[in-house]
Amino acid sequence: MKRWFLPIVLLAVLLATVAQSGAQPKDTLVVALVSHAPVLDPHFHFERVGILVNINMFDSLLHKNTKLEYEPSLATSWKPLSDTQWEFKLRRGVKFHNGETMTAEDVKYSFERVLDQKKKSPQFGNIRAIKEVRIVSPDTIHIVTDKPFPLLLERLVFFPIVPKKHVEAVGDQAFGLSAPVGTGPWKFVEWKKDQLIRLEAFDQHWRGKPAFTHLVIRAIPEIATQIAELKTGGVDLIRNVSADLVPELKAHPQTYVSSAPILRTHYVHLDMRTEPFNKKLVRQAANYAIDREAIVQKMMAGLGRVVPTVVHPAAFGYDPSVTAYPFDPKKAKELLARAGYPNGVDITLHSAFVEFRPVFEAIGQMLTEVGIRTTTKMWDPGPAWNKFFQTEGKATHGYYGSWGYYSVFDAEAILHPLYHTEPGGWVGRHYIRVEGLDALIDQGKSTVDQAARKRTYSQILRLLKEEAPSVYLFHQFDTLGISKKVEYAARGDEWLWLFDGKPKR
Amino acid sequence: MTALVIRRVIRLVVVLAGVSLVTFAILQVSGDPVALMMPEAPESDRAVLRETMGFNEPLPVQFVKFLGSTARGDFGNSFFHRAPAMPLVLERMPTTLLLTSLALLIAVVVAVPVGIYSAVRRGSLVDQTATLAVFLGQSMPVFWTGIMLILLFAVQWRLLPVSGWDSWAALVLPAITLGTFSAPLFLRIVRSSMLEVIGLDYVRTARAKGVSEWFVICRHALVNAALPLVTVIGLQFGLLLGGAIVTETVFAVPGVGRLIVGAIRQLDFPIVQAAVFLFASIIVLVNFTVDLLYLYLNPQIRVR
Repeated sequence: MKRWFLPIVLLAVLLATVAQSGAQPKDTLVVALVSHAPVLDPHFHFERVGILVNINMFDSLLHKNTKLEYEPSLATSWKPLSDTQWEFKLRRGVKFHNGETMTAEDVKYSFERVLDQKKKSPQFGNIRAIKEVRIVSPDTIHIVTDKPFPLLLERLVFFPIVPKKHVEAVGDQAFGLSAPVGTGPWKFVEWKKDQLIRLEAFDQHWRGKPAFTHLVIRAIPEIATQIAELKTGGVDLIRNVSADLVPELKAHPQTYVSSAPILRTHYVHLDMRTEPFNKKLVRQAANYAIDREAIVQKMMAGLGRVVPTVVHPAAFGYDPSVTAYPFDPKKAKELLARAGYPNGVDITLHSAFVEFRPVFEAIGQMLTEVGIRTTTKMWDPGPAWNKFFQTEGKATHGYYGSWGYYSVFDAEAILHPLYHTEPGGWVGRHYIRVEGLDALIDQGKSTVDQAARKRTYSQILRLLKEEAPSVYLFHQFDTLGISKKVEYAARGDEWLWLFDGKPKR
Repeated sequence: MTALVIRRVIRLVVVLAGVSLVTFAILQVSGDPVALMMPEAPESDRAVLRETMGFNEPLPVQFVKFLGSTARGDFGNSFFHRAPAMPLVLERMPTTLLLTSLALLIAVVVAVPVGIYSAVRRGSLVDQTATLAVFLGQSMPVFWTGIMLILLFAVQWRLLPVSGWDSWAALVLPAITLGTFSAPLFLRIVRSSMLEVIGLDYVRTARAKGVSEWFVICRHALVNAALPLVTVIGLQFGLLLGGAIVTETVFAVPGVGRLIVGAIRQLDFPIVQAAVFLFASIIVLVNFTVDLLYLYLNPQIRVR
C-alpha cells in the first residue's frame, strides 16, 4: 500500500498545477458560446453567435444603449429627407484596427458588398430595399431606398462598417478567416476553429479603451459543460441559462445570474385548413383554455411574461388596448359546444422546441381539460421536422414554437415572417387563412410615417384577436450566468455588448 | 495466400461502393434537397438551383456523377462554411483520431491485464470487482460518463480542466470517457478467451514442462486468446468514432464529431456526406487491416 502512496500524491499535485495554470488573469474576459459562426466577416453570415462576436470588433452606424434606445455610433446624427431618402452624418477621425481612418467610401463600400448579388451575402434580404448609397460630402451620406423602408434604422444597428482598401487587398475569404479589421473596441488576434477566438483591446477606439484588455470567445456546445466551466473559472459569462439551472448559479459562491426580457415570443399556431380549427369558435376556445400565468410562474420560474398579442410589448406596433384572452375553462367548453363539439374533439399538436417540452405538454394537458383532447408530438429538430412542417406543411392541427424577431424591435419583423402568405411567411403559407391580413401587413411597411403604421398594426392586432389563428403565450427572459469577478447585465436584445463589462474589485 | 488477399481487396471495393450509395441516399431520403436549402425561395429560384446542382436529372445519372466526384474526394461546398466540404472534415480529423486512439489505448491497457488476472484468479476479489465494473461501464452512456467525470475531477477536485483541447491535461477526461465506453467489452473478451485456453491441453503441457506461470500465461495462453481481441478492437473502432461525436460535444473538442453535429442541425449535407463517407471508409480499412493481421496471427486461416 505504501509503495503506491507517493506516486499518487505526486500525480495529484502535478495535475493540480496543470489545472491552476488554466485560471484566467484579471484583465481577461472569457465568454462561452455554443459555437462559432463560419466566418468573422460580419457581412457573410447571419448567425446569432457570429453577431455577438462581430459587434465587439466592428461598429455600425447606429448603436442601442441598455434601454434599447438609438445612440450615435459611427453616425453622429440622422434624419429622413423623404419617404425614401435618409441622411447620415459620419463621425470624424474614427480609426480602423490597422490604423487607417474611416471614410464615407468605406461606408458606401460596406453596403455595396452586401447588395452585390454575385457575392451572395446572407444579409442581402435585410437591406435589399436600399437602392443607392450616395456620398454627399466627406462626412455625409444619403441612403436611397426603392420604396419606403421603415426598418432601416433597426437594420443599421447591426450593419458593421469594414475598411474598403484592406478588404480589397486581402480578399473576402482572408478577411473572414484570418484578417478581419473593424473600428470596434477589440481587435482580432487569433482564431482556433471550434475552440476559441482571441481578441485584444484596441487602444485607439473612439469610445476609449475597453475595461478588459483580452477577450476570449470559447465554443462550448454543451450547457452542462459551460456551467462547469463557469463554476471553476474557466469562463466568465455564459448565455441561455434555463430556468431550472438558475437557483444553482444563484447559490454558487462564485457566480450570479442576470436576466432581461427579450423578444422571443412563444405561441401555438392553429391549422385553419382542417377540422376543428377551421371554426373560429374552437380557436377562441383554445385561447380561453390555457392558463398562461401558471405556465410562466410554475414551469419557467417566473422568467417570462404573458403576452396579450403577437407583437411584443417592447416592439414598435404594440397596442396595449388589445388584451389577452383570460383563462376561462368554462367559457372554452361552452364555445366548443357551440361550435358543434359538445363531447370534445381529438387533435394532435407538433413541436420541435425540445428545450420547452414541459411547457408543450402542459399546453396539451390544459387543452385536454376543456375537451380539446390533445396528443403532443415532440420532434427532434432536424431534416425530418423541417420537411414535415416547413416544406410540406403537414403539421396539422397545430404547432408550438417561438419567434425571436432577429432582434428587430418592430411589428413587421414578426407579422411578415409568420403570417404573410408570400415567401417569407412560412406559417402563413400553410396555416393562416385570414381575409385581408396580407394587405394590412403590406400597408404597414409601405410608409415611414410611424403614426400611420401604428394605426395599421392596431388594426391587425384586433383582427388577430378576433380571428384567433394562434394562441399567444408569453415572451422569454434571457438569463446570463456570470462570474462574480465580472460586472455585466443582460440586455433585452440579447446582445453581448462587452464594452459595458467591467472587472469587479 | 495472395488469392486470399486479392479476394479481400475486391470485397473492400464493393463495400466502399455500397458506402457511396448510402452516402448518396442520405440526401435523397431527406426529401427535396432544394426545398431544404432554400425553404423561403419562390419556385423560379428553386428551379435555377435544381438545374445548377443537377437535381433535375434521373437518379441513376446523379449517382454515377456522385461516384465520379466521390472518387476525386469532391463532396461539393458546405452550405454553412461556403468552402469545400472534404477539407473541412479532413482538417478536424487528426483531433478525432488522436482522441479515439488515446481512448483505445486506455481501454486496452486497462482491459488486458485486468482481464488476464480475472481469468487466472477466477472468483477472486479483483475478478468480482471487474465483473461489476464491466456491468457499470456498459450501462453508462458516454455523455453521462463525461459529465460525471467533469463534476468529479474538474468541479469537485479541480484536478483537470473542464473542457477544451489546448493542453495535455485537457485530453485526459475525454480520452478516459471514451475509453470507458470500450474497456468493458475488451475486458470481457480477454477474460472469456483466456478462460477458454487456460484449460486446454497445451497449457497443461507447458506447465508440466516446469516453465514459470507467468511465461505460460503470456507466451502460450495469451497469444491464442488475443485473436478474438484483435477482431473486437477492429469492430470497436467504428463504435469509438460514433462515441467520439458525443464525447467531442461534451468536452468541446474541436474534432469531426462536432462538425457533424453542427452540420446535421444546419442541414449542411455536403459536410454530412463527406464525414459519413470518410468515417465509413476508415472503418472498412481498419477491418481490412484486421483481416490481414489475422492471416499473420493465425496460421490456420492461411492454410484454409
